[in-house]
Amino acid sequence: MDKSELELTADLAHIDLKEAEYETLGRAVEQMIEYFSRMNEVDVSGLEPTTHALILRNRLRPDVPAEDNLADTLLENAPELEDRFIVIPNVL
Amino acid sequence: MTDKVSKWQRVLESRASRSSYAQIVRERDKKLNVFLEFDPERDAAPEKSDSGTPAGDDSSLLRVPFAVKDNIAVKGFHLSCGSRILDGLISPYTATAVERLKAAGARVVGKTNLDEFGMGSSTENSAFGHTRNPWDLSRVAGGSSGGSAAAVAAGMVPFALGSDTGGSVRQPAAFCGVYGLKPTYGAVSRYGLVAYASSLEVIGVVARTIDLVEAVYGAMCGSDPMDQTSMDATELDLSEYSRGAAAAGSKVATIGVLAGDLGLAPGVARAYALSVERLKRRGYQIVEIVLPTLEYVVPVYYTIATAEASANLARFNGIRYGLRPDFAENPDELVRIARDKGFGDEVKLRVLLGTYVLRSGFQDQYYLRAQKIRTAVRNDLARAFEQVDLILMPAFPTLAFKSGGAAAGEAALDPFQQKVADRFTSTANLAGLPALAFPVSLEEGIPAGMQLMAPPFAENRLFQLGREMEEEFPAPAPPEFPAQWR
Repeated sequence: MDKSELELTADLAHIDLKEAEYETLGRAVEQMIEYFSRMNEVDVSGLEPTTHALILRNRLRPDVPAEDNLADTLLENAPELEDRFIVIPNVL
Repeated sequence: MTDKVSKWQRVLESRASRSSYAQIVRERDKKLNVFLEFDPERDAAPEKSDSGTPAGDDSSLLRVPFAVKDNIAVKGFHLSCGSRILDGLISPYTATAVERLKAAGARVVGKTNLDEFGMGSSTENSAFGHTRNPWDLSRVAGGSSGGSAAAVAAGMVPFALGSDTGGSVRQPAAFCGVYGLKPTYGAVSRYGLVAYASSLEVIGVVARTIDLVEAVYGAMCGSDPMDQTSMDATELDLSEYSRGAAAAGSKVATIGVLAGDLGLAPGVARAYALSVERLKRRGYQIVEIVLPTLEYVVPVYYTIATAEASANLARFNGIRYGLRPDFAENPDELVRIARDKGFGDEVKLRVLLGTYVLRSGFQDQYYLRAQKIRTAVRNDLARAFEQVDLILMPAFPTLAFKSGGAAAGEAALDPFQQKVADRFTSTANLAGLPALAFPVSLEEGIPAGMQLMAPPFAENRLFQLGREMEEEFPAPAPPEFPAQWR
């Protein structure tokens, strides 16, 4: 696999890999992708894709507001807060 | 040597009993590294449902301590998923499955070690060290629910919850000599289970007796408004599995076994032959079945699982919780550095793979193709269940292997080999079927287990056969198993 392919993939996955990781992970990814190519042996004509093994339809709950406010507890886990805002580095 | 549930029920009854219990467990855990967090005091407060001492009812869960895999949320405990990226995160809520067990009276005493985010077959991929097999400290406990399986096998808790995406409850159960149930997809709510592969995974249970597996499953199962993929057995159209349609009442008569050489290590092959012999002796008809798609199950599983994982793990970015690098120029860099520092190698590999197979230009070739073969797998199994009531298969082609990867030589399995070995367990996940791992024998001094697979919502058949197999060979006790739980 081209290193540029792996770079693009890592970019899409939002992970900054170090040089050494491109080596080791690159080889592991290549090994798995090659293994995946075995799937080409199967005749898939006429087969619909399965996205969910057993679910047959969408399931809705009644359109009634729920009483559940975890907001404050969730914010307790934030690394840095200012009032009820989570602080991050400048975007620009 | 079955667990005396009533003895377990007294373990948490007083501060003194909890304290001596904690001492025993912590001492044992020094060698095993099962618990990421252990505190019998935290959940000890009685619920309104507690009412006096139960009259020795073996299937009651009242005041029974249990452990929970650390990718399942329990309020007030950390939720690490075995990863550095969730450093410091304390769960603000509790998974439905756990809530239901608490409503039945059971109490969480700790969170168990796992392969990071459920990715692995050994519990060597945890950021917090690997969990050792109570039968042989140089061997793995299996994965990804290695901590839960080892906790139960070592007599630290009578049962523990795990999650099973491609075999992660059944394989460690087989490695540790205990029972491991993977329920039907949707039978147990996934609300509170940190998602790895949403269409494949389910919360499962590990225990030393079938009675307890059944009691825990019974308490947990049932549709949950918080999980849209959860359902009751009655909601499913079971006509595809014609014999399965009469699941609840039907008695098991025919067991399917796979034809041909399955590539098993000698110890596993012996256990397989022993199981077939025991079943025949008990009057079951053994029928050879063929599953043509079985040899493609692993690439299909890993294509789908990694694709779903890449989407599910995109949320871990160091912004709202968990690990955050000390310095970053901008939010984009913050995210990239957090994910590089926070994710282990196996997680990075699977996220990259998943991202790759979903890339435009590659989707048809990999992801879509895998989903179509998944349909073929389901069809194969539906066809098989027209002939047989259950399918008997190994849980894994080897016994618990040595830890340490390449350094341990032949006796270890490298990460690629571990993946290829998932073929017997990931089949059930692809089709959403329930399956049970059960102990069969001790081979070379370590446990050998087998696996039974059933049609959707036919867990009763698994319990029925599981009980018969338990009569043949109850869960064995490893060295240093506490005398009071014998």
